[in-house]
Amino acid sequence: MELESVSKRYGDFRAVDGLSLSVPQGCIYGVLGPNGAGKTTTLRMILGVVEPTSGRVSVLGHGSAMSVRERVGYLPEEKGLYRKMKASAVIAYFATLKGMSRRQADLRARELLDRHGLGLFADVKTEALSKGMGQKVQVLASIAHDPDLVILDEPFSGLDPVNQGVLEEIVRDLKERGRTVLLSTHVMAHAERLCDRVVIISGGRSLFDGTLAEARRVVPAKVRIRTRDSLEPLQDLPMLRELRSLGDGRWEFELEEGADPQAVLEACFTNQVRLSHFSASEATLHDAFVRLVGPAAREASYR
Amino acid sequence: MRNALLIAWREFAENAKTRGFWFGILLFPMIWIIGAQVPAFLAKKGTPTRNFVLVDRTGRMAAVVEAALERDEQRRQGEAFREWASARLVPGGSLPLAKGEFDLGQALGEVGPMLRTNVGSFESPSPRFRRVEPPPGITIDGDLNALEGELRSWLREGRSYVPVDAKVPVSLFAAALILEGKTSNAAPVLRFWSENQADTALREKIDNALSADFRLREYVRLGIDPKVVSRVENARAEVVNLSPRKAAGEERVGIADLLRQWAPSAFVYLLWVAVFSIAQMLLNSVIEEKSNRIIEVLLSSVTPVELMAGKLVGIAAVGLVMVGSWIGTLFLVGFWMAGSAAASGAASGGASGLPMELMTLLGDSWILPAFGLYFLLGYVLYSAVILAIGSTCNTIKEAQNYMGVIVLLMMVPLVAMTFIPRDPNGPIATFLSWIPPYTPFVMMNRVTAGPPLRDVLGTLVLLVACDVLAIWACGRIFRAAVLRTGQPASISQMWRWVRGR
Repeated sequence: MELESVSKRYGDFRAVDGLSLSVPQGCIYGVLGPNGAGKTTTLRMILGVVEPTSGRVSVLGHGSAMSVRERVGYLPEEKGLYRKMKASAVIAYFATLKGMSRRQADLRARELLDRHGLGLFADVKTEALSKGMGQKVQVLASIAHDPDLVILDEPFSGLDPVNQGVLEEIVRDLKERGRTVLLSTHVMAHAERLCDRVVIISGGRSLFDGTLAEARRVVPAKVRIRTRDSLEPLQDLPMLRELRSLGDGRWEFELEEGADPQAVLEACFTNQVRLSHFSASEATLHDAFVRLVGPAAREASYR
Repeated sequence: MRNALLIAWREFAENAKTRGFWFGILLFPMIWIIGAQVPAFLAKKGTPTRNFVLVDRTGRMAAVVEAALERDEQRRQGEAFREWASARLVPGGSLPLAKGEFDLGQALGEVGPMLRTNVGSFESPSPRFRRVEPPPGITIDGDLNALEGELRSWLREGRSYVPVDAKVPVSLFAAALILEGKTSNAAPVLRFWSENQADTALREKIDNALSADFRLREYVRLGIDPKVVSRVENARAEVVNLSPRKAAGEERVGIADLLRQWAPSAFVYLLWVAVFSIAQMLLNSVIEEKSNRIIEVLLSSVTPVELMAGKLVGIAAVGLVMVGSWIGTLFLVGFWMAGSAAASGAASGGASGLPMELMTLLGDSWILPAFGLYFLLGYVLYSAVILAIGSTCNTIKEAQNYMGVIVLLMMVPLVAMTFIPRDPNGPIATFLSWIPPYTPFVMMNRVTAGPPLRDVLGTLVLLVACDVLAIWACGRIFRAAVLRTGQPASISQMWRWVRGR
């Protein structure tokens, strides 16, 4: 799946502004961004629900998701079901719209509900289900036709931790079976646990696109040491960005992007700086997100 | 195409499950039955026996009036009996024609062998009018003013009393005073007192009896044979109603021709009702999906045009099933009535023959296909517009504002329906035919009157074009509006969507 400098304007407002993306097959790809960053618009453009103002979208080798719609599954951000239909009928209905035969779809719906602990609710009208159950039904509806590409918009919102775990399992299971999953979220913990690659967008632009490890490296790693010796010999090390004293012989270094904390340890050793404490901490996705998006998001919230 | 059909099927199945659908199917026949039976029932059972006081100052007229009322009552009893008997005939049985005065014993004797066994006994309806003795303490021979004053207070207060010749208390409906005419040869005067000015039957019957009696006596006094008078009075000009449209030898205007003129109004009304019976379903179906955000999932699976077309077909089918069931009921009831009318020996071709006539009328001409075409095209036009309205709104309440406009627009054909059949090819009818929202209604009214071919073909082309345009434009509005939330779209906004901006 690929986006090539895609833009979407609503009047003067640029919801998405020259965004390029490339999602390799068989990975879990996270679309991260603050509220109003353009995540949902991006996903809708990929699906062909919204047409981009400019740029090119390619899904599973086709110019439009509509031409391969049987191979794409979608869970929208705001969840809802036909209130008067039975859970199994809703799943089967969406599966038939994706090209499955009625019989096949019905069997598949019941099988999915059974497998995910909702077998007893197959013939219950969705208006009688709890919110969490309803959302699970909707997730199942989006994957009932066994799509190659699954697009999940904020799939975890509104679920309790146990069901979030269940959903994570479903996503991992899709990956194991070679399916591609594109999911948007603003909860970094989920992205960190699930995603192979993430894109961070804000104000409709991509701020970062790469693996989780690469994302973490956006934020400099920090090293803390404790020593009674002078730090003079370390001043010229190229990987050190900032040095702060924490008092009582404790110091904190911020390292240049991509620098290896081990190199600091090595430098200390060769320059005979004796250490009573050494610790290196790697940044989390959360740190990277806040660092990349923070100023823009705060600005946006003041506007 | 497959997706549109899937959507259509779901819409049909879901809407056909609703209570509204079944109420709709049952409601109309029920309204007919109630509309047809209740007034008759009320006329039979609902009007109580009217008690009245008759004061005859002429000394001759009381007997005349009583005889006339008695004849009427006999006829009424006879009709009630025939109706009772015709519903209880053995298969193939028929009733002898009514003749002379009605006598229950004699009638039962004649009809008895024709009736099924265990039919129960005939209960005579209570009499329509009953002359009662005046309230106690009233002297009918005294001063007229005093007498009327007293009767007046009894009538006004509606007090009940037990007349000297009866056992149960009665309250007076009217007091009729018959006085001598002002001159010796003038007709008698009827002073009719009653609180109830709506039920004029009693006053008219007494009036007719007095007038007929007076006229008869006048003829005799003037030396004219009453038989001659009766013959002359019953003589009528012979009127033959002809239509130039029909083939030579068949110019006579019959009931089929009247139907030809008025049946279209029924179809106009049917289209009107059909559109309104599904309007709510159309609005609901889009608004539910919009408010639930199911629309996004759907639009990732089907194109807006498929979605739009599917909804249109599915819900329109619900409406057609409803309308079809009404027409079916009408015909069933019609055949049943025709059947029972034939069994009771009544002349066919009366009101009970209507469905038959309607069938022949519709069966042997291009009228039925024309009706069908205009009906469907109009139905699709309105449905598409209503669906588009639904797609721009987030709540039913918002949609109702727009629907108000549609209702106002659709009032025009209902009004036009009353005068177009009288001048089906006149300038107003022709003008309205070319206004697309009115085309189906007006043209259905006109087709039976043989409008110019250019009007028929022209309006059909216009309507097809409008349908295509409506579906296309509504598809665009639909596409642009369904993912929108917040304020409903303004007209100018919709126009921009149609133009694709």
